[in-house]
Amino acid sequence: MNPNPLWQNIFRNQAGKQTLAYFLSQIPMFAKLGRRELALLEKIVHLRNYVADEMIFSTGDIGSGMYVIRSGQVQIFTVDSEGKEHEQAILEPGDFFGEVALTGNRPRTAAARATTATSLVGLFRSDILEATLRHPAPTAKILFGLNRVLADRLLQCSQQLELLQSTTRDSQEHHHE
Amino acid sequence: MSDSTGLSRAQVAVIYLVLTTAIASGIAIYSSATTFTTLLQTATSGLFLPILLAMIVAFMLDPLVRLIENRGVHRTLAIFIIYLLISAAITSLLLLIGPPNWRGMLQALKADVPRYISFAIVYLTEWLELAQKHFPFIAHYNLGDHLRNFSQTLIGAILVQTPRSAMRIGSLLILVPLFSFFFLRDSRRIMRGLISLTPNRYFEMVLDIYAHVSWQLSNFIRGRIIEAIIVGLVVWAGLALTDIRYAPILAVIAGVSNLVPYVGPIFGMLPGITIALVDLGVGAQFWWILCVYILIAQIIVDNMILIPILISKVSNLHPLWVILAIIMGGKLYGILGMIIGVPIASIINIIILEIRQYRRTFNLYNRYFSSRGKML
Repeated sequence: MNPNPLWQNIFRNQAGKQTLAYFLSQIPMFAKLGRRELALLEKIVHLRNYVADEMIFSTGDIGSGMYVIRSGQVQIFTVDSEGKEHEQAILEPGDFFGEVALTGNRPRTAAARATTATSLVGLFRSDILEATLRHPAPTAKILFGLNRVLADRLLQCSQQLELLQSTTRDSQEHHHE
Repeated sequence: MSDSTGLSRAQVAVIYLVLTTAIASGIAIYSSATTFTTLLQTATSGLFLPILLAMIVAFMLDPLVRLIENRGVHRTLAIFIIYLLISAAITSLLLLIGPPNWRGMLQALKADVPRYISFAIVYLTEWLELAQKHFPFIAHYNLGDHLRNFSQTLIGAILVQTPRSAMRIGSLLILVPLFSFFFLRDSRRIMRGLISLTPNRYFEMVLDIYAHVSWQLSNFIRGRIIEAIIVGLVVWAGLALTDIRYAPILAVIAGVSNLVPYVGPIFGMLPGITIALVDLGVGAQFWWILCVYILIAQIIVDNMILIPILISKVSNLHPLWVILAIIMGGKLYGILGMIIGVPIASIINIIILEIRQYRRTFNLYNRYFSSRGKML
């Protein structure tokens, strides 16, 4: 708010932006968490660092949690029966992936690889289960935020499916005529 | 001033000095390395029991701490509250019943142990003579002498160790709460630090296996300790109904020996049976005591009620492993080793089983996916 950069430096703690809690509060799924929940989340996540081209997980691995990208870039890809890689997505800081494995011991359906030196924040099932025992209310809030984002994704997915169905129906009718 | 090699005298002196220091320190390091293990042993010998007890206490108190922590209390404060509650409970208990007369009990025990042992020797010799009549080759085994030696060492130990063990108990009373406080507060942080050292590729697997193992372990340890306490209390209650002396001590022996499966309860009831035989003779009270030990404490309370509820089948050990663990534990740490050998073997067993279980699920999923990761 203050136009003077000097004042800005004094009043705004720039170092605060470097903390893990600040980073997490900027992620949409954790945006609505209060200070207490963020402090808990900071304690239960794991920071993992990857070098360029290092695999984060491969298809079929037993997954136990999700990752949020703090810095770097992650490529999500699948491998077909000929061994050719098909890129599914390139994810940037703030994006998350691997959330399917968070709720159950499911195998990874795609592989993830760090394309540059990458720093990830991992949130794993065993830690969440332990946190539900120790701090039920804040953990419920964290899971609720996660649920909201996943529900949004599902909604988007079903809308796209509907759109796709209507277009195919249209084209089929077109074909009949 | 320089010689043929081109080095000044000062340089030669420095090299000479460095070389001597290097050799001397090398010898010193080598000699200390050989004594290092012994040094480590003497340094840690007194710590084994307090750390073990502190871990057990931490495992027992963790659910209580968690109960308070659930209400949004900081963990450190929750631990303090639990400590306060427990010390209050112990104090009020001591005020209600009055402190147990340990000193008098020990004095009486000092006088009585030789009596009990000599009775056992007489009893055993009678049996041996009877057995030797039928099986002459038994004559080689002089069981009476063994027992006499054992009794002498036991009495000596009681006489010598009593003041020393009082000191040790005093230090335990300080060390165990201290250690268990830090275990309760920081064990999670310590384990997280250790787990975070694993390479990225195995991180998720290690984290998952650790979660499973720690869950099983805490259940196992909690279950075993609660089982021992309840068996001890049942024996105490049963013995208190009779005129037998040393009921509290016998109950403690029964409870602690109950930690060792199969063999433990048998050895746990031997002192009680002997004292009953000597003091009360074979009569209604003796049969009641036998009944308390075998039927009530072991068969009904332990095997029919406690074990099915408290101890999961995962931790079942094959009897052969139990015997091996008792022998190996005894070789390493004496009687204490015999008692904790089996629980430690069970812990190792749980760890191995959990890892195998994890790998089996892993392979199961591999069956649904081809080697290239396509769903079959």
